[in-house]
Amino acid sequence: MDLIAALESLAPELEKGLAQASSLDALEELRVEFLGRKGRLARIMGELPGLAPAERPAAGQAANRAKARCNELFAARKAAIEAGREAGLLARFDPSMPGRAFWRGSLHPTTLVMDEVCGIFRGLGFDIASGPEVEIDHFNFEALNMPPEHPARDMQDTLYITESVLMRTHTSPVQVRTMLATRPPLAVVAPGKVYRRDSDLTHTPMFHQIEGLMVDEGISMAHLRGTLTAFVRAVFGADTRVRFRPSFFPFTEPSAEVDISCCMCGGKGHAGNEPCRVCKGTGWVEILGCGMVDPAVFESVDYPPEVSGFAFGLGVERIAMLKYGIGDLRMFFENDVRFLAQFGRGA
Amino acid sequence: MLLSLSWLREFTPYEGTAEALGDRLTMLGLELEDIVRPFDAIADIRVGHVVECVPHPDSDHLHCCKVDAGQGELLDIVCGAPNVAAGQKVPVALVGTRLPDGMSIKKAKLRGQPSMGMICSERELGLSDAHDGILVLPEDLLPGARLVDALQLDREVLDISITPNRADCLSVLGLARETAMAFHLPFSVPELPLVLDAAAPACEVPVDIADPELCWLYAGRVISGVRVAPSPLRLRYRLHAVGVRAISNIVDVTNYILFECGQPLHSFDLDKLRGGRIVVRTAGEGEHFVTLDGKERVLTSRDLCICDAERPVGLAGVMGGRNTEVTPESRNIFLESAVFRPQSVRVTSRRLGLTSEASYRFERGVDQRRTLWALDRACALMVSLGGGLVRKGLSLAEPRPFIPCRIPFRPSRADALLGVTVDREFSARALEGVGCAVERDAPDAWTAIQPSWRPDLTREADLVEEVGRVYGLDAIEPVLPPLRRRLDTAGAPESRFAFWGRIRQWGAGLGLNEAVNYSFVGHEDLDFLRLGREGRISIMNPLSADQDVLRTALAPGLLRDLRNNLAQGVQGLRLFELANVFESDAASETTARETGMLGILLYGRRHESGWPHAEADMDYADIKGIVGHLLAFLHLPEPECRPAREHAFLLPAVDVLVNGERVGSMGRVQPAMAGEFHARKAVWLAELDLEILRRLHDAVTVAFRPLPVYPPVRRDITVIANAGLTVGEVLSQVRGLGLPLLEDVALVDCFEPEADKAAGERHLTFRLTFRHADRTLNDAEVDKVREKVAESLKQRLGVRI
Repeated sequence: MDLIAALESLAPELEKGLAQASSLDALEELRVEFLGRKGRLARIMGELPGLAPAERPAAGQAANRAKARCNELFAARKAAIEAGREAGLLARFDPSMPGRAFWRGSLHPTTLVMDEVCGIFRGLGFDIASGPEVEIDHFNFEALNMPPEHPARDMQDTLYITESVLMRTHTSPVQVRTMLATRPPLAVVAPGKVYRRDSDLTHTPMFHQIEGLMVDEGISMAHLRGTLTAFVRAVFGADTRVRFRPSFFPFTEPSAEVDISCCMCGGKGHAGNEPCRVCKGTGWVEILGCGMVDPAVFESVDYPPEVSGFAFGLGVERIAMLKYGIGDLRMFFENDVRFLAQFGRGA
Repeated sequence: MLLSLSWLREFTPYEGTAEALGDRLTMLGLELEDIVRPFDAIADIRVGHVVECVPHPDSDHLHCCKVDAGQGELLDIVCGAPNVAAGQKVPVALVGTRLPDGMSIKKAKLRGQPSMGMICSERELGLSDAHDGILVLPEDLLPGARLVDALQLDREVLDISITPNRADCLSVLGLARETAMAFHLPFSVPELPLVLDAAAPACEVPVDIADPELCWLYAGRVISGVRVAPSPLRLRYRLHAVGVRAISNIVDVTNYILFECGQPLHSFDLDKLRGGRIVVRTAGEGEHFVTLDGKERVLTSRDLCICDAERPVGLAGVMGGRNTEVTPESRNIFLESAVFRPQSVRVTSRRLGLTSEASYRFERGVDQRRTLWALDRACALMVSLGGGLVRKGLSLAEPRPFIPCRIPFRPSRADALLGVTVDREFSARALEGVGCAVERDAPDAWTAIQPSWRPDLTREADLVEEVGRVYGLDAIEPVLPPLRRRLDTAGAPESRFAFWGRIRQWGAGLGLNEAVNYSFVGHEDLDFLRLGREGRISIMNPLSADQDVLRTALAPGLLRDLRNNLAQGVQGLRLFELANVFESDAASETTARETGMLGILLYGRRHESGWPHAEADMDYADIKGIVGHLLAFLHLPEPECRPAREHAFLLPAVDVLVNGERVGSMGRVQPAMAGEFHARKAVWLAELDLEILRRLHDAVTVAFRPLPVYPPVRRDITVIANAGLTVGEVLSQVRGLGLPLLEDVALVDCFEPEADKAAGERHLTFRLTFRHADRTLNDAEVDKVREKVAESLKQRLGVRI
């Protein structure tokens, strides 16, 4: 029965050893010592064939019990060590350590505004159109009711490539190109770069515009007002007020300029006791020009006289400046990452 | 247009404030820019009466004056002006007054004599440059009165922006007409009757107009015996208030009438007009002419000239000539009032870069029915100021009289265009209010007769605008339009804008910062990067030499951005830009070919912050990885990257090929060039053609591939490659074997022994992935295929395994 006693002493001895073992390595050493192929349990079992056949079942059972008990002890100790190690790790865990700094990209504020504005008009059912940046005089001016030597050409200082080819001064030639390519009904917006021979604090020689055009039978100034009011509310908030002022553009008649209540001072015209610097105290800021398409433009694209339509053009930088509170137009084209990164991927 | 409120009130009794007028005019399309108060800086200046004036006891040029400035007691004032004298009325700055230049008047002692104020010159009051003495005022002014009140100066001036269509509002008269309409006020022109010299014989200057298309009306009168002298103060200061420098009574009158009535006038010294006649003709090609500003102009056959019998004496509608200028000695004046073809005036004015108040108005159109009236008004004013007499006889040629348009107008069309039903009576009143005579032939067929001062009203749409303007565009109820869409445009391919938009989102999502640069650069910038000169598109009239050509690559702008950012101390930069590059193309309608490009620039640190990143700079693997990422985003295969034969500014330069087609290039900016942009580390750049990418992308159809059922088996193989053998060559050799079980091959490690020991050899480890679609592979068959790969590499590429 020595054999059974030896088997039964394994577990308590292991327990003592395990109490000393504080690492998984020490645990493994003990496992090899007790349960390994040449370990103590194996050695005791090696004596099993020497027993009388009658004693063998009891010894076998004792061996199984001892093995199971040892395994239990190992598992418990292993779990305890692992839990301790985990607790140590948790104790050192510092949630305020910096995260892995994945690159943070950004879209240019003009892109953000163009995306937003075009998205709004797409929602209203407009398609996106585009046209070339190098344009011929005919599309940029003549077809828009600005024949040579028309004083309205003074409103847009032009960069010329040749006498008859120029950098488009506005996105309006896309109106003409679109009308030549399709027949009414049509509704498009055309975002893009435009160019003027002008450079100072409030002008850059390149900037972005979005042109809008809708032509169908029965389109009226009321529709223009509705469309632009919807647009203004979407961009600047539902409580923004809109004002239409008569103005002049050669390619629209009647023409209007659209002012919105100043988003800086809320249309009050002053901030504290100072006149508001954004609206210069008027409570209104101009954001776009628009009007009903001039019959001369329809004539130049051979549209029937019974159609009517509206057109508008807005300055993208202007909207971005108002929306984000950017004071200096030139920052748009200096591409200082400290500027660019501020806008992220949208706001 | 600067509009004096008090001047306006001579035409219409508007009693409201300048602000209210400005607001109302703004909503009529005449936008108020600013309200100027030109004399506020001298509002505290008083009229003084010099009661006594004696020489200063201790000075040879100062005077001690006793001045009554309405203060109850006489003020002692020491004055240094040579022209001060007892009995004068003068402007006085009292103690405590601040002058326009900021100087404050204090009690003072000048060489022992007390001085309790200052008697001012025009320059000290900011009224002119005159400083040769104090300003002597008219005798009838009351001492103690404010100078601005005593002289009835124009205290409030509205700066109104006039759109090119509203030529009629470039005058007090025109704006008064609008004001009267807006506020329902009477409108009248102050009388200024012309009295002709009954005694002297009539004097006409024959007028010969060579081209009636260019000069529609030419009229003039002769004024004899004038005395050229400064104008009265009130007239001088009124001109000052609207930004015009006073010159002499004769010239000031022409300017006064121009501002008041909008009709430009010109005065000639009649005695200098050779042959005593006027010929209106175009100039000879290359003819020389000296304008009033003293500049010699070379004329062309498109320039319309006013000539005497021998030579040009004026550029029609633009500027007069030095040769017939009115001078202090002039005695006889020929005063011109004319109408020229607007385009002709504009051609000359623009060609010479010479814009005048006259040309500005002629270009936009003047009221031909006011031309003679304005002439007579000017003559009457001149006589009242200059003492001469207007001779009988009107010199006149009017080859093209004004014929008003008869404009058909349908009230229903106005309703349709405005989107509101306008009361018919309102419409009629609105049209009459702007000067049209309205004939209501039928309920929906009216005729409006164009007023002579509105060249912009010729069509029905113009009248609709007038009705809308008076009705108030802001009073129209906003309505969203019903939107009819064309079915034939449904299913059109993705727009260029949308494609670009997705790439922008990709770039920003990947962690790049979007830049936007000008489309123009300098030829020098392109030359510096050794970009080809052929096909460049130059700007004819650039703002500066660094903006004189359209860019043929995005690199110049991105490198400029790099320099700007390095100046701010950045350690790393990752920019991208989507924009057109431009090349001339004879086949294009615009002579230009615009190609959309994506440019990417990488510089310096891969990560700005330290922990947990190793400090390392971006390299070729970064730029190539980004390009590969984009192609994957577009569902395009991994690019094939080949060394470019030659590249203007990249070294190494790599061509990027997709399906065998070159879509762009990438590489490192040559260090010497990059150094010019202050880069001290490698600058990695890629430029990809968006037109090609879009086409390739449009052709892709995304199709689902079933997931594999059986597991893969992997084997590594390390080859020792000689210098010059590329990974790409190894990969294509392996792939070219067409082994059915080989699913994938990829580089997993690259070891480069020290160069001097191994002559540039590299140890390249590739991982081969094998898989069978229908069963699990066994080791033996995989090893057999691996052996086949090894053998082929040894034999075909000469590598060791």
